[in-house]
Amino acid sequence: MKPKNGMIKATSGYERFVHWMLAISCLLLCYTGLGMMFESLNFLGVIMGGLKGLKIVHNFTAIIFTVALILAIKMWWKEAGIFVFPEDWEWIKAAGGYLWHVDHVAEVGKYNPGQKAFFLTVALFGALMVVTGFFMWLQPGFVPMEVLRWMYPLHVLGFVVIFAFFFIHLYLGTIGSPGSLPAMTGGWVTRAWLKKQHPKWLKEMEHEGKLIVYKDENSKKV
Amino acid sequence: MSEMIKLYDDSKCTACRGCQLACKQWNELKAGQTENRGTYQNPPTLQPNTYMIIHYQDYVTSEGDVKWLFRKEACMHCTNAACVTVCPSGALYYNKEFGTVGMDRTKCIGCKECVAACPFEIPKYDSKTSKVYKCDMCESRITNNMEPACVKSCPTGALKWGEKDKMLALAQKRVEEIGGNAAVYGDQFVNGTHFMYVLKEGKDVYADIHENPKVPLSVFIWKDLLKPLSLLGAGGVIGGSLLHYILHGPKRPDPEPGDDVKTEGRE
Repeated sequence: MKPKNGMIKATSGYERFVHWMLAISCLLLCYTGLGMMFESLNFLGVIMGGLKGLKIVHNFTAIIFTVALILAIKMWWKEAGIFVFPEDWEWIKAAGGYLWHVDHVAEVGKYNPGQKAFFLTVALFGALMVVTGFFMWLQPGFVPMEVLRWMYPLHVLGFVVIFAFFFIHLYLGTIGSPGSLPAMTGGWVTRAWLKKQHPKWLKEMEHEGKLIVYKDENSKKV
Repeated sequence: MSEMIKLYDDSKCTACRGCQLACKQWNELKAGQTENRGTYQNPPTLQPNTYMIIHYQDYVTSEGDVKWLFRKEACMHCTNAACVTVCPSGALYYNKEFGTVGMDRTKCIGCKECVAACPFEIPKYDSKTSKVYKCDMCESRITNNMEPACVKSCPTGALKWGEKDKMLALAQKRVEEIGGNAAVYGDQFVNGTHFMYVLKEGKDVYADIHENPKVPLSVFIWKDLLKPLSLLGAGGVIGGSLLHYILHGPKRPDPEPGDDVKTEGRE
């Protein structure tokens, strides 16, 4: 999508690349995993040549997911992995203004505590999926049978959490928070959206002179 | 037909291993290279191409006597079989006629979930074919009114194949005849196995035997709790998001008179 005059750059191309590498591999893992876990969803394997195809796609997509997860954690943990007090706590007490009416939501940094919680959940449970998954793939060996047995419920626990969180993420990234999606498509967002969602970040970028504003040569100056 | 039981009486077993060979022959399993490890027990454990073995054990009694102990190890054919519970492809299934656990290897995807679930550690994975192998109680024979190959080959009557009631009565009679610590093994676990033992000694003296096998707790948590929870959780979130959208409404940017872009961030 072509940006409009006055829009502000919120994400770099690298950020969007890592995001979609993680997202697509995660969704493919959910799809293939669901097809194997539920007998009533075995038909999902048809397009991959049956259940065996699902398993092969699941296993090798896991490698891409692992790489994407490492890149994502390296990229985001400083900004989204650490809570900052007291403003994050103020935000949490108001639930970010998402659940009930709040006159003034505490201004937090680039990522709000909700986003931080999502990042930490993906990082921790993603790592859980990677570790348990590789033991399941490469078994038997490495660990005693008694330990290996628990890899399966832990893998499903990770799925329970990630699958539920995926829908929260989907909702808040689209219709639940209009104007958010372009941050992950073209990278340009409106100033109004930034003011509403990330006022402190906007101020920080303005203060540090890091604000990149799109200028359309063809449109008249505002 | 009713539920059928294969009964092994170790007090009658001479460890001739005729059953081990008959099993290989009927199931067309290749022999592996064996090595002398100072015991007749060969191969040492079950393998993808060895569905059953006879365990050889030198047992020293409390009186100081040395005794031979033999035990036939193979799939126990549980009534509540963890392998069938976890199998995602339907490759492992209950034989509805006899209650044994059959296997359709064309359906096996080699996920090895049964390997980790089996309380008796029976299924063996072959990385060459990426499939799992185990005894299916000679399903091709029993469904044609023949006894399993191992039973057919047994020269001493240590192996018997018959209806559950008759086999349980026979086992009980044998236990009383032997006396001492003799006991039936299999009727108390996993809602009853379809391969049972009459053990002449207490089960604690047998090497590598599973003294109290049960469907692992991890399988229950995995299949009965977390699996349905994954759909409930996701469904709850989707429903909750919808409610949020229609009751609270999305978080929209405030309108800015100066902006030449729409407040929604896109057209």
